[in-house]
Amino acid sequence: MSLLGENLVRTDAVGKLTGEARYTVDYDGKDLLHGSLLRSPVPAGLIKAIDTTVAESLPGVRCVITAKDAPDARAGWVLREQALFARKQVRFEGEVIAAVAADTPEQAREAVAAIILDLAETQAVGDMETALAENAPLVHPEWKSYQPVSGEDYPRHGNIASELMADDDAVDVAFENADLIVEDEFTSNRQYQAYIEPKSAVGIYRDGRYTIHTGHQYPFNVRDRVAQYLDVRPSQVRVIGHSIGGGFGGKLDTGLEPYAAILSKFSGGRPVKIVNNRTEDILTCPSRENAVIKMRSALDKQGNLLGRELICHMDNGAYSGEMAFMPSVIFHLAGSVYKVGNIRVIARLVYTNTAPTGAMRGVSGVYFCAFQERHMDHIADELGVDRREYRLRNLVGNGDTLLSGQVLDDADLLRKGFEKMEEAAPWSQLNDNKKPWHGIGICAGTWITNSMPGSVQLILNEDGTVTVVTAATDNGSGAVSMGITQIVAEHFGLPADDIVVTMPDTDVAAYDGGSQGSRTTHIVGRAAGIAADELKGMIFDVASGMLEAGRDDLELVNGQVGVVGYPDSRISLGDIAMTATWTRGPLSASGSYTTAPVPYNPGCASGMLFPFFPTPTYHVHLAEVEVNPVTGNVRVVRYIVVQEVGRVINPAGVRGQIQGAVAQGIGHALYESLRIRDSRYLERSLEAYRLPLAVDMPEVEIITMEHPHALGPFGAKGVGEPAIILAPATVACAVSDAIGRPFNSIPITPEDVLEAIVGKEKQL
Amino acid sequence: MELTFKVNGHPERLELEGHETLLDVLRDDLNLTGTKEGCREGECGACTVLVNGRAVDSCIYAAMAAQDMEIETVEGLATSDGLNSLQNAFAESGGVQCGFCTPGFLMMLTALLDKYPHPDRVQVRDALSGNICRCTGYAQIEEAVERCIRQRTIE
Repeated sequence: MSLLGENLVRTDAVGKLTGEARYTVDYDGKDLLHGSLLRSPVPAGLIKAIDTTVAESLPGVRCVITAKDAPDARAGWVLREQALFARKQVRFEGEVIAAVAADTPEQAREAVAAIILDLAETQAVGDMETALAENAPLVHPEWKSYQPVSGEDYPRHGNIASELMADDDAVDVAFENADLIVEDEFTSNRQYQAYIEPKSAVGIYRDGRYTIHTGHQYPFNVRDRVAQYLDVRPSQVRVIGHSIGGGFGGKLDTGLEPYAAILSKFSGGRPVKIVNNRTEDILTCPSRENAVIKMRSALDKQGNLLGRELICHMDNGAYSGEMAFMPSVIFHLAGSVYKVGNIRVIARLVYTNTAPTGAMRGVSGVYFCAFQERHMDHIADELGVDRREYRLRNLVGNGDTLLSGQVLDDADLLRKGFEKMEEAAPWSQLNDNKKPWHGIGICAGTWITNSMPGSVQLILNEDGTVTVVTAATDNGSGAVSMGITQIVAEHFGLPADDIVVTMPDTDVAAYDGGSQGSRTTHIVGRAAGIAADELKGMIFDVASGMLEAGRDDLELVNGQVGVVGYPDSRISLGDIAMTATWTRGPLSASGSYTTAPVPYNPGCASGMLFPFFPTPTYHVHLAEVEVNPVTGNVRVVRYIVVQEVGRVINPAGVRGQIQGAVAQGIGHALYESLRIRDSRYLERSLEAYRLPLAVDMPEVEIITMEHPHALGPFGAKGVGEPAIILAPATVACAVSDAIGRPFNSIPITPEDVLEAIVGKEKQL
Repeated sequence: MELTFKVNGHPERLELEGHETLLDVLRDDLNLTGTKEGCREGECGACTVLVNGRAVDSCIYAAMAAQDMEIETVEGLATSDGLNSLQNAFAESGGVQCGFCTPGFLMMLTALLDKYPHPDRVQVRDALSGNICRCTGYAQIEEAVERCIRQRTIE
């Protein structure tokens, strides 16, 4: 029986349901020490002196370290701009200044409190407008000295950390000839990943190497970044993965790992554990960036789009991390859903003295789609055309190209998505039957399957089971505990119980690009398929000798090899493995995969260009909301997702990803917001940061479009992110429809709703 | 100060300073690390355990207040036959993703189902208003409750 499309229970379910699962915070041991960090209390300042003598003299304290004890090195994903400890300048509230290891967590915290810090607060660059003003103070006065990891040639200047420009002169002509120009400005606030497990890490320095235990989405990134900070070769760092209590992009770069590592070195090699409290976690987590987009469209009399100008400013915070790539996302998305004519894209990443932002699920695409879709609604309203009809008129289709020149082979799936949606929820019927204070939104989007490389080694064990050695991580999504497990089982006709997947270990498995960008099932699943084919070849070689039959006459069915047409001839994989081990050596095979680059036009843009938009998927969402005009509360009463998935491996897993992503999208649209005042977050606890609860969530109606991808494992593409890409967009369009006022800022809070209602009444 | 209480049916006696939370005692003194800390302010519900059958946030519950009480944690749910019907329903419905909030949800729902064996949807959602799950969007957790009720009715 095929396992594809079956609701197999995730392999780590029992451990997680009984309390046996081990997260990093559960790491224990007789010689374990506890670390604590001194963080900057101000968003910008100059360190004049640090006195650690009292702290060092306290009972239980094993070491107190500062910048003078660390290598003179800077680290960073794209730009090497951050030192392990602030040496002179601090650039955001929460930046690490010193670290302590002690026998108990309390002693470590007391020692941190005993460090005497002489720090002069300086003028902070609190927001993008201030940062971009003429003669603004620089967040990094020494920015020119920073070494880019990926080559020297991308534009950055002063408070602009990274930039992408795609400028087409024809855009000006389009605006000159336009019969109608529609212009909007949109803003979105920061969103905190808010995984339930705050960050933690354990570091051990032994035999000249660092070993790190961490529940992390991207162990190899930890390895490389720790090596940069501590100025050692990456192979001197070993990263061992644990169960991950949620990540959503917040656990893709190092957090506490390098501090745990260096504290262990200064504590005689004893393991040191550091655990964030929730406030520390919020203050330092690379949350989704706040952004401002100005979007302007030129139209002719018939409403055809002649051109568009799009200026996007993204708040980078104090250090750039992965963000330097993100202006590229805006560029690719700008032409991925609608034919927009000639286009100009200017996307800038701006330094501020705030917590560094990062890649939350659906990086930069979430607010881009919200803004693009609200803009499309605005244009349709101006033209007096139905919103759905206007989208259908302008959809891209098969053979259309992105702004980079990349050809979209199967973009007709967008139109098919609208058809599927129409079957589930006929548009005119919904609009005709709309109750007062109800609103409907319909939106379309395209998203990627991240191309980063992955690798799998398969070992056929002598008991007939298969071990999967991989550094791929399961952040909770099920990509490994369902996806990879089911894919490997399917290749060998084995039950999922016969597949054992190792936990990530950078000493054991080859490079993996981490659980990000909806990539794991697609990329690692494909690598597993390549390895499986090779291993099956070896199995047939051995079985051919055992059965005295030609290799081509053999088949592998339900974990047994036999001669086609002779059911009695079957021998088990265990017998084959045993025979192989003692005759030719154990059977194992490896597979590696990364999406091949697609052709594009290198002249399409200047700046930080991520050259392609790998393995696109296509989506349509519909939401119906109910607004309470007295309280301003918005309730999502119906939510429908039409999602292109390639191929469903595990329906319960796909459902969990879509329902969970929509929940985070509704949270971003209506509740969640890290507001910044005077360069500091106002929300500093889970009490203040409002997350979606069970009572807030509709049961999402899910329609999957299967369109098997030639290179995906059994056709599967990425599933984890697409449903969040459109959720804030669809909710924002529905709320705007309900009230008859444009909502061009997310989140849409009850205060915003009431203000809009009052504003509308005044106008009438 | 001496604390005597029962945890998952086992009598325990501990010498405490008095300021410890129930969560710290369970995790650090009794090595029952299945109960998780998510916020330490009684907001997320990851640390939910039962005290004499009542669900409490153990991160803000003084350990000494559990004197002579019976505590149940996630480690006490499974039977000698394996997962209990609620745990099984979570597994089969896909109610678990990252798993960090799961022990808290299981304990909160254990308390609910002990009191109301057939709760309606509103009762379930109300009971879960102090438990945050960031992964699932709650639908498959709610489905797990329904599945568990069906299973217990058959039994």
